[in-house]
Parts: sequence; C-alpha cells; structure tokens
Amino acid sequence: MARIRLESAGKRYPNGFAALESLSLDIRDKEFVVLLGPSGCGKSTTLNLVAGLEELTSGSLYFDDATMNAVPAHRRDVAMVFQSYALYPHKSVYENIAFGLRMRGHPAGEIEKRVRDAARRLEIEPLLERRPHQLSGGQRQRVALGRALVRQPAVFLMDEPLSNLDAALRIAMRAEIKQLHHTMQTTFVYVTHDQAEALTLADRIVVMRDGVIQQIGSPEAIYDRPRNTFVASFLGNPPINYLEGFLREKENQICFARGALSLILPRQYSERLRGQAGRPVKLGLRAEEVDEHSVPRAGETLHGRVSSVLPVGSDQYLGFEVEGSLLFFRVGRDLRHKEGEHVALSVNVNRAQIFDASTGESLLWDGSA
Amino acid sequence: MKRIFLFCASTVFLVYVLAPVAWLVSSSVQQEAEITSRPPHWIPREPTLENFEAIFAAKEKQVTYETRRQGDPATGGYIPSTARNLVPAMWNSLIVAVAVVILNLVVSVPAAYAMAKIRFVGRSASIYFMLTTRVIPDIALVVPFFFFIHKLGLLDHLGSLVITYLAITVPFGVFILVGYFESLPDELDKAARIDGCSRLQTLLRVYLPLAVPSLVAVVLFTFLTSWNEFLLALMFTQTPASQTMPIIVAAFTSDFTISFSFINAAGVLAVIPPVILAVVFERYIVSGLTAGAVKG
Ligand SMILES: Nc1ncnc2c1ncn2[C@@H]1O[C@H](COP(=O)(O)OP(=O)(O)OP(=O)(O)O)[C@@H](O)[C@H]1O
Ligand SMILES: [Mg+2]
Repeated sequence: MARIRLESAGKRYPNGFAALESLSLDIRDKEFVVLLGPSGCGKSTTLNLVAGLEELTSGSLYFDDATMNAVPAHRRDVAMVFQSYALYPHKSVYENIAFGLRMRGHPAGEIEKRVRDAARRLEIEPLLERRPHQLSGGQRQRVALGRALVRQPAVFLMDEPLSNLDAALRIAMRAEIKQLHHTMQTTFVYVTHDQAEALTLADRIVVMRDGVIQQIGSPEAIYDRPRNTFVASFLGNPPINYLEGFLREKENQICFARGALSLILPRQYSERLRGQAGRPVKLGLRAEEVDEHSVPRAGETLHGRVSSVLPVGSDQYLGFEVEGSLLFFRVGRDLRHKEGEHVALSVNVNRAQIFDASTGESLLWDGSA
Repeated sequence: MKRIFLFCASTVFLVYVLAPVAWLVSSSVQQEAEITSRPPHWIPREPTLENFEAIFAAKEKQVTYETRRQGDPATGGYIPSTARNLVPAMWNSLIVAVAVVILNLVVSVPAAYAMAKIRFVGRSASIYFMLTTRVIPDIALVVPFFFFIHKLGLLDHLGSLVITYLAITVPFGVFILVGYFESLPDELDKAARIDGCSRLQTLLRVYLPLAVPSLVAVVLFTFLTSWNEFLLALMFTQTPASQTMPIIVAAFTSDFTISFSFINAAGVLAVIPPVILAVVFERYIVSGLTAGAVKG
C-alpha cells in the first residue's frame, strides 16, 4: 500500500531527448490510475520511473513519505506487467511466478502456497509445468499477472498489458483486472492508449501528450468536461465532432452560431461565456449527443444532409453535413435515413463543449478535476 | 532432379572437407615407407601405433643426431630430435586455451550485457571501437605486442600468450554476445529487476541460461583460436617450457629429416581436443553461430 508522488519529475534520455519536462502527479493509496495518451507521449517513461527502471534526471519521487529517487528497482516494493509479458523463456510457469518470491527470500512453503493460490485465482493451475512458449497469448497474460500478484506488492504497475490480446479476450481481461484491483487493495498504475480501457478501469485518468499532463480526473470528468480539444478528441468513439463558429448573445441567452445554424447554449454556461460575443470558438459535439425529435426545437436542432450511413450492428454511424462541415454521429439503428436525405437532428446542448478556436482550451473549464 | 544435384554437390563437398582428415588419420598409423607409396594406401597395410608410442615415450629417450643415426626400430630412424617436446607443448596449449576461454567469458559476458542492456554514454562508440581493433591484421600488432610483453617481463612465459590471445578473442566474444543479448527483449531485463534481481543477478539468472548457445559459440571460437595460433606464439616463446603445439609441430618439418607419419600422428593429437569440444557441444553449435544473426 502506498501513495505515489512525482514532483516536477523530469526524464532526459542519454541521447538528449527530454521525454518528460516537469511532471507532477499525486496518486492516492489504493487508487487505480490510468495513464492515457498517444504513442510516444511518455507513459512508459513515467511508469519506468515509478518502477525504478529508469532514473529521474530532475525532480523527486516519493512512496508515502520516503524519497525513492535513488532506490533501485529490486529494492522497491513494486510489481509490473509488461506488454510483451516478458516471461522467462527457460523457466516453467511455476518458476516464472515463483521467481520474484525466491529472489526476495521467501520461505519455500510460503512460495508454494502463494503460487498455487495465484494459479487457482487466474485459472492456470493445469499449466504450471509448461514453458511459456507452450501457452496461448491469453494464458501468457495470466501468467504475467500471476507473477505480479503473488508478490503482493505495494504498487502494481501495468504497461499496456492487454494490447497483444484479441478484442474479446481484452474485454474479459479488463473485468478481471478490475476485480483484481478490488481484491488486492493496492495502488494500481496502468498505462494504455486505449481510451475505452481507461474509461472502464480508472478511478482517475491522467491524459498525457508530449510528456505533459493535459488533464487529471475521473473518467466522467475527463469525458464530460475535457480541458482542451486534445483531451476531448482522445476519448470517445467515433471521436468528438467540431464545428467552428462564433459566440453570440441575444435576449440574455448565449448562442453558438455558424452560418444559418444557431444553438442556444445551456444556462449554466452563461456565467463563463458572458460578454464574449463575437469570439471565434469551436463547438464540440460528442457523436452520441444527437437524436431525432418529432418536433424539432429551435436552438437545439441541426439541419443537414446525410452523406453516409454506416451500420455497426447495435448502432449506426451517420456522416452528416452541416454548414459545410462533415460530422459523424452515432444513432440508434431504428433511425432510417438514406444517403442524400435532408434531416433535422436534435442536439443535447447540455453536453456541448466550447473551446477557444485558436488555442483549443475549453472555455468551460473551471479548474476543478 | 534438384535433389540429385543437391546430393551430388554435398557429397563432393563432404569428400573435399573430409578427405584430408581421413588421410591424416590413416597416414598417422602407417609406416614411413608406406606413406610415400604410390598410389597411396588409404587403408594401411600394416597399421602401427609406433608413431604415437614414440610421441609418448619420447620423453625418456634422448634423441640426438647420434642416437637417431643408430636407427630407432620403432620409427625407422625418423624421430625428430624435438619429439619429446610435443607432449609438454600440448599441455602448454591446453593451459593457454583453457585460461583464455575462462578469462574471455569472465570479461565478455558482463561487457556484452552492459553494452546490450544498459544505456550509458559512449555505448555504441565502445562497441565500434572494439570491433575496429579486429580489422587490424595481427601481423601489424606483433611489434607493439612484443614491446608490451617485454615491458611486462612475460617473454617466454605462457602469460604472454594468454594476454595477447584475450586481446584477439574478447572483441569477438563480446560481439557475438551483444548480438544475442540485444535480440532478447529489454522487457525481460526489466522484469528480472522488478522481480528483485540486481544487475548481476539478472545477468546470471536470466541472461546466461538463455545465452548458452552463444556461449558455446564463443567457447569454441576462443578455444580454437588459442589452440591454433602460431604467429604470436612464435614471437613470444623461445623455449620448450612455454612453446605451444603449433610451434613444436612446425619445428618437426625443419628437423634433420622429415617424418611425415610422425608429423601426421602429431596432427591427429592436435585435432583431438577440438573434436571432443565439438562433440560435447554439438547440439548448440549451429544455433549458436546463427544466434543474433536471426532473431528468434
Ligand atoms: N531509451 C530512450 N532513449 C531516447 N528516447 C527514448 C527512449 N525511450 C523512449 N524515448 C522517447 O521518449 C518518448 C516517450 O517514450 P515512452 O516509451 O514513454 O512512450 P509511450 O507513451 O509509452 O509510447 P507507447 O504508447 O508507444 O508505448 C518517445 O518520444 C520516445 O521516442
Ligand atoms: Mg509505452
């Protein structure tokens, strides 16, 4: 059990590349934190710093109140699951799982007991005598999890542990990992670039870009109140739609306007947006925030032309042209529209996002997570 | 059709490679008179172990110009005067080769691990530098080596050979092992350290067991290089106390009279240790030589 604190952590690789400049992050005890970001944004670097596999080049790292900067990996109470599993090819599954305990000098009886327990929990008991190359991807993944969980570490680190699995298995393993966190009651730090994984697993998500934290918050906060267009775009499938336009004020209401389109923004936004009429902004509309109402309401309706219909089983995606922009929406499959048809869709303006047109910063961001 | 061609080609190749060895073995048990007969006898008419006897008995016999002239019935009077140096020289060769193999592994395994898995400043420079030392022909190094050995006071001492052979073989050993270690995923290294291994334990408990085929390749190469080496041994050793097998065998050809069958018998002895090594490590050899070259 541990709280992990990074204070202005910096990492410069020997080739001079600064992967992290000044990263501060406070992970609470027993929290499940997901580091989310595109490839190369420094997620693995951050995780390796916490694990002790890389050394900080500036700033500090604390576990609870102890400085960990100079403590080598093998003296930290952390376990880690890797993307490639990294099982020892020359050891049996049993020995793979037991190795960490052996190296830390646990008595033989206890090792045996813990390995058997872990194997039972992960349903890999029949595989204990096999070598890693005799296992399927999903089984290897379980062994890698087993190797980490027998250690009963204070900090459990995972670097894209599911990305080598097929889609169905990935979803099943998500559930298991969540369950694991629940029973283990330790701090989890989980790296992924899969936004769905992050939204499913996290207590808090840390969105990163080019070594800089963009936003930290609960999955709902990150999804519903993104701090900027980068965060907004990174979550959601299909991705959020943007419409460029202007703010306008009429009759004490604040509107988003683009050409003939005018959407009345909800009352709770007015405090932040008042007095900025004429400001160029981007409206962010999540793909699922539209619907068809029998009676279109003024100020909440998009008039446009269906440019494509893409059924995906449970739903369908609509390509929708509004005021010269192409938007993608996800709608129920009972909506029957044909390509080329002109339709009116109602927008859930309560969930619309407003970003500055040039910086991409949210104008609704209030500094809270 | 293709298979017939392949079969013929490999037969030709086999004969090409094995015929000299067969002739070496066959002639080593022939009488001196028989060895020069035409056509040569591939199967000896009167096989004899007299040449080998002479090698191992030579210690006790003082072969001089006079005694040789009296005619030794065993060899038909053809024993070289330096015959009794052969067995000690084999020991010298063996001591040097084993020492070089062991020291080479002690140096090149950790060096290769560090170069493959630890990112330090000058890492790639050190690999290139080490490899460039190997494109310099040995003959160019003989004189500097000589001064070096002289300064160390190791002339005519086995130590001189151990040191210089290490200089020759360590770069190769590191090169093979770096290639192999690099082909093992970094995450294996990380996993071991998370599991509680220090760097040294990671090397010993995870990397070494996996590197056995490459280690075998390094052992064989190092052993053979030391066992065969001629030029440096010729320069640095003067007396039978430190001379190695290639030097002594070469000296046989410049003796009063040349005994082909005796030299061939010495040749057979020279082949035995490498053959034993090869047989012991047989199942690793092919995979070791290709490891690193092919990722897998
Ligand atoms: N050893 C290294 N030397 C130099 N640069 C490195 C090194 N390791 C990583 N980097 C760089 O640091 C940045 C962050 O790398 P990192 O591995 O943390 O990314 P990541 O977010 O985990 O990406 P991915 O999702 O692809 O795994 C990248 O731009 C990468 O090129
Ligand atoms: Mg990564």
